[in-house]
Amino acid sequence: MTIPTDLKYTREHEWVRQEGDTATLGISDHAQEALGDIVFVELPEIGRVVAPGDAFAVVESVKAVSDIYAPVGGEIIEVNAELESTPEKVNTDPYGAGWIAKVKTSGGSVELLDEAEYTTFLEE
Amino acid sequence: MTELARTPLFDAHIELGGKMVPFAGFAMPIQYPDGALTEYNAVRQGHAGLFDISHMGQVRVSGDEALAFLQYATTNDVSKLSDGQVQYSALLNERGSFIDDITTYKINDTEYYLCINAANRHKDVAHLLAVAAAFDVRVADESDDTTLLALQGATAQRTLQPLVDTDLDDIGYYRFAEVKLSGMPAIISRTGYTGEDGFELYLPNQAALDVWQQLLAGGAVPIGLAARDMLRTEMGYALYGHEISDTVTPVEASLMWITKLDKDDFIGKEAVAERKELGPQKKLIALKLTERGIPREHYPVLVNGEASGEVTSGMHSPMAGGVALAYIKPEHAAKGSLAVEIRGKPVAAERTGTPFVRSNVRK
Repeated sequence: MTIPTDLKYTREHEWVRQEGDTATLGISDHAQEALGDIVFVELPEIGRVVAPGDAFAVVESVKAVSDIYAPVGGEIIEVNAELESTPEKVNTDPYGAGWIAKVKTSGGSVELLDEAEYTTFLEE
Repeated sequence: MTELARTPLFDAHIELGGKMVPFAGFAMPIQYPDGALTEYNAVRQGHAGLFDISHMGQVRVSGDEALAFLQYATTNDVSKLSDGQVQYSALLNERGSFIDDITTYKINDTEYYLCINAANRHKDVAHLLAVAAAFDVRVADESDDTTLLALQGATAQRTLQPLVDTDLDDIGYYRFAEVKLSGMPAIISRTGYTGEDGFELYLPNQAALDVWQQLLAGGAVPIGLAARDMLRTEMGYALYGHEISDTVTPVEASLMWITKLDKDDFIGKEAVAERKELGPQKKLIALKLTERGIPREHYPVLVNGEASGEVTSGMHSPMAGGVALAYIKPEHAAKGSLAVEIRGKPVAAERTGTPFVRSNVRK
């Protein structure tokens, strides 16, 4: 299982990559592995404003439906439309081609863990 | 929580990396490390999948009045069975609703074998024993001594043949043979729950590990509960607790084809006849989404925008998309625009038939 050092994580197993005022969001390797084969991703609408902790996307595996919560608040400015036809990218490349949405951040986040803290959290 | 029961193959599942979950009181593998989709593909795309379904129950019925007893206790016409034939059937209560759905194996005129659902085992056995008191029969619950494997897929026969001295070509669809497997007496039937050609193997527990390992060595892929449910749902097969339960009769569940109102009296007959006369309280339909989405169990079904019922089994089929079985109001069954409500939004659907994908059973 991989946990890149340049990302921040939530206790709900989302990751966030902050670059300037843009944050890219996805789910962690641990999350995709726990969910199993992902067969459907419901993406948010562009322009929607989310608060930290809001459910902004839905990932469905063969057996389970999971809400994905926004680690940071802001406006959705881009979504990974590729996931509509190839949701399995969340399994195969959760930190790369499996990203879910980009947010123009405008204040606030849930508690974010760095790589070391997230590793410890997973071990608990 | 009571401790989960284990099948004789529990350790084998752990060794293969099976992810064990509680299911009908047993710890069963929901999937192995390659995942449910890979397992599904092994069965659908020309290979063979191996399933441990030992959680299911088996009951042997023997005695001079075995036929009369089963005619009274089950819905289908047992007198139509020849030796070595299997029949899909059901146990009903006096209200005409389901105690369980079962398969009946006719060994000979005085000996039959029933396969029953795991979750209903104790209820079924208690019911059968109570009914049997009025007949000259013996009802024996053999579940704890029996391992049940399913081997399903295009190469099932080729994989199984080297293990048995019977020519499997001689076993037709819904037929069985008593054979030796790993030196032990076993029953092999050409039956299953996947829509592919294949077999179900009833073995004494002592033979379980050896047969399991031989079939894996022969190229069979172990399959967990998740892929099993995908394969089952794609065929539109009913599952107890979903499409059938003690609140519906065969009239609602579209199972009148296994309910023979023209045979002599059986438990539930009168109630079913009355329900048939009055009409079903709800209607089981098959639907397919025409927009993106996955219909899941309990999602509301809308007809002309009005709440009409709910999904009983639903899935994302790799071949057919979002498909589901659902109950709707009988007055909505004939026509109307159909939708499934997913997270508060109606997603358009259309009526379709079952199976949702082509069946490859060898009839």
